[in-house]
Amino acid sequence: MTVSFTIPTIETERLVLRAPAEADYAAWLAFNETDRTAFVGGRASPNTVWRGLATYLGHWALRGYGMWAVDLKETGEFCGNVGPWCPQGWPEPEIGWTLTGNAEGKGIAREAALASRAYAYGTLGWTTAISLIDPQNVRSIALAQRLGAWWDGDFVHDEYGTMGVWRHPGPDALEEAAS
Amino acid sequence: MSGLPIAEIPVIETERLVLRPHREADLDDWIAFYASDRAAHVGGFQDRDQVWRGLVAGLGHWMLRGYGMWAVEEKATGLLCGRVGPHCPIDWPEPEIGWLLLERAEGRGIALEAALAARRFAYGTLGWTTTISLIAAANMRSIALAERLGARPDGVFVHGRYGEMPIYRHPSPSEVAA
Repeated sequence: MTVSFTIPTIETERLVLRAPAEADYAAWLAFNETDRTAFVGGRASPNTVWRGLATYLGHWALRGYGMWAVDLKETGEFCGNVGPWCPQGWPEPEIGWTLTGNAEGKGIAREAALASRAYAYGTLGWTTAISLIDPQNVRSIALAQRLGAWWDGDFVHDEYGTMGVWRHPGPDALEEAAS
Repeated sequence: MSGLPIAEIPVIETERLVLRPHREADLDDWIAFYASDRAAHVGGFQDRDQVWRGLVAGLGHWMLRGYGMWAVEEKATGLLCGRVGPHCPIDWPEPEIGWLLLERAEGRGIALEAALAARRFAYGTLGWTTTISLIAAANMRSIALAERLGARPDGVFVHGRYGEMPIYRHPSPSEVAA
């Protein structure tokens, strides 16, 4: 007998959301050398990066959902991770995103986050969702606002400190707005 | 929307045990373990979030490597006894057979039964030709188990965070079969 774990692949207009893979490890290490990690826990050792990748995958196995790796369809270029996410210690499930620098300014993050939110509300049946964002992370806050999310208080994490809770419009509100 | 299985984790039965994937329901037993003296030989205290991440990374290890550690459950009681399995995170010197035993599993040969099943899997299904176990020098019970498994001291590995870890080399597949 075996127990199977599956991670779905999702396509959007310009992106493929797929299972994180060991091949992403090099891109993660490069990301780790940039200042962009300041808002997501700081620089980590290669060991920690590898364990982070294992944690992304294991989160899918334990929760049945998790972070995808995001590739540009046209070039196959890896441009970050996005997805429904709720590790132990989180106040409630969130739509998370961590984008590498090459995805900036093209609406890539928004396209990926919208697909994730649609998956969370549709396939997973969530009735609400948040995103936890470092108060200094202006770009990420701007993305949350473009997604229609509003500030809904602060959450203080034992390790990461204060994170803003950005509440997304629920599935009903989105449906109403679309009609 | 499509998606292929990215991990097939086998469930293995031995006489008294079931080796199965980690579950969220195992969390409290591991939190107690990492808050106890038993954690001293395996990196020390971990809080709830760290323990959870460890379990999740253990599942992710299966997906990255195609093998990993199982939760060890006692058939008769359904209770968790520990974890065991082939293990090789990126900072390991080579693939090992790892084990962590909860106190309730002590003194009944449960660890031996589980470790033998894990080594059979590594040599059989995975085709390994050698394996080690990394054990803290002061972990006398774990060293005794390695010796019962026929493993012998084979140098010391110095880990960036855990420090010196004596290497115990297991008998090869042909030696085990003989």
